[in-house]
Amino acid sequence: MKIEHKIYLSNAVNILLIVLIGSFALQNLNEILTKFRFTVIAEGLNANFLEMRLAEKNYFLYGDDNALSNIKARINQTRETMLQVRPDIIRAVGAEKYTVLQEQFHAYAQLVDLISKAQYRDAMVQQKLREAGQNLKTFSENITALESDRIGAIIVRSKNILLYSFWAVVLFAFLFSNLIVRNISQSLRKVVNLTRAISTGNYRKIEDKPSSDEIGAVISAINSMAEELQKREKEIVQSKRLASIGVLVAGVAHELNNPLNNISMLAQTYAEVYDSLSTEDRIGFMERVDEETERLRVTIHNLLDYAKPKEQHLARATTNQVIQKILALVQNMLDVSNIKIKLALAGDLPDIYIDEHQIQQVLVNMVTNAIQAMDKGGELQIGTRYLPDEDEIEIEIGDKGKGIAPEFLDHIFDPFFTTKGDSGTGLGLWVSYGIIKNHQGNIRVKSQIGIGTTFIITLPSCKKLKRCTDGEA
Amino acid sequence: MAKHSIMVIDDEKIVGDMAKLSFEQDGYEVETFLNGEAALERLQEKRFDVVVTDMKMKGMDGLEVLRTVKKLYPGVKVIMITAFANLDVAIEALRDDVHDFFPKPVKIKELKASVKRALGEE
Repeated sequence: MKIEHKIYLSNAVNILLIVLIGSFALQNLNEILTKFRFTVIAEGLNANFLEMRLAEKNYFLYGDDNALSNIKARINQTRETMLQVRPDIIRAVGAEKYTVLQEQFHAYAQLVDLISKAQYRDAMVQQKLREAGQNLKTFSENITALESDRIGAIIVRSKNILLYSFWAVVLFAFLFSNLIVRNISQSLRKVVNLTRAISTGNYRKIEDKPSSDEIGAVISAINSMAEELQKREKEIVQSKRLASIGVLVAGVAHELNNPLNNISMLAQTYAEVYDSLSTEDRIGFMERVDEETERLRVTIHNLLDYAKPKEQHLARATTNQVIQKILALVQNMLDVSNIKIKLALAGDLPDIYIDEHQIQQVLVNMVTNAIQAMDKGGELQIGTRYLPDEDEIEIEIGDKGKGIAPEFLDHIFDPFFTTKGDSGTGLGLWVSYGIIKNHQGNIRVKSQIGIGTTFIITLPSCKKLKRCTDGEA
Repeated sequence: MAKHSIMVIDDEKIVGDMAKLSFEQDGYEVETFLNGEAALERLQEKRFDVVVTDMKMKGMDGLEVLRTVKKLYPGVKVIMITAFANLDVAIEALRDDVHDFFPKPVKIKELKASVKRALGEE
């Protein structure tokens, strides 16, 4: 259900409750009004009955005829009044009680009639009249009192109902709005988490079937956006891969075309100038053809060797030990090049999980590059440290050599890119990059012309790879 | 008639050597250089009719040689050869008024025909 509809529904329920409570209160008020009218009338009747009884007493005590006519006048007045207010009384106390009242009144009026006609002074009749008067007064007073009590009861009931329904409405509104707010904020939290995940490149879907409300619509939109992003990212990765294949192929073409061109030109010229060549010259031509062929063979061999996917022999290793091993390999080179080494190896580094031969290859490559950058001698710095946040080990290899021009920095990991002229294949860093990436590590470079170059390699600890207890994989 | 002179610049020594042998056979005067800097220095001393240059070289590359030659000696024709067959480079060279453009491996006969056209002999 849409949030909009939920709010409409909640408002409708509230309005319905208020209408119910209101109509109930109105009904109670009407009832109170009816009863109140009756009590006013009844008070009037009761006063009349009291007057009649006073006059009756006077008549019996003093034989005052005025008193008798006074009673008659009151009876007539009361009869008229009772006829007038009959509907009111019936509405308030019901027809039955009205009939009882009327009958008692009639009985009383008849006795008064009888007395006035026959001039009865008989004690028996007097007693009857007194009893009838008493009955009439008592009954009338009783129903009046009863109705007063009822009014009180209705007021109490109304008060209670108003009070309870007030709390019910408040409670309902509170619970329902709370429910909606919680619903919305939960969904929004999902949206926030989802977008946060997407921004870190995690294109998971938030849920398979989003709810049908507005938040659900937002989530569906984000889901489809994430899907689209993921597709685009794949395309970008693919096109980058194609681009790097393009760089590789162009490099290969260049490396192969040069010796091919040399062989071709040797052959063409050989044929053209054959007659003027001495035997020695001819042998020289053929030797150069052979050299160029050898050059091609080496290039192709290197390429195949580098391109060949090598089986990794992964095992737990200690970073500092690996570094010490390669230093033994390159020590002679360092001495010859007059380069001093400065080590800053951190103690208690966590172990790593690597193909030691491959990582040695990378490190030797880095050190060789550093030595070549410092052709006038200098200082080679090798440092290790632990990055606790990433649970990774960082190896820094820095030289104080020529540095790399900024425009080359973006290309140094490209295949066949070299700044070393003929002494470089342009494949060393490209291969190193591949090896480190295969170890789920990273390699980056900082360089300043005239100051030096530093390569920074990071490798995950064996703990991060959950491979600390395994032997050879 | 004085001999036409050709300058060949390529960091592959064989290219210069073979071009020299072959063109001298046809009566041209040929000088070879392994990089652009040395070649441009020589151009200050001696006038050449045609410059044949490789594209990708250490230091100054073929495009820079082309631009410098065209700027300083507009009459000199430049022919470019490259192992790095790339259309973008060819287009750029054309914009800079290259006379001809050959991908390696080069057919010497075609190169010679191009030189002749450059000299207006054909």
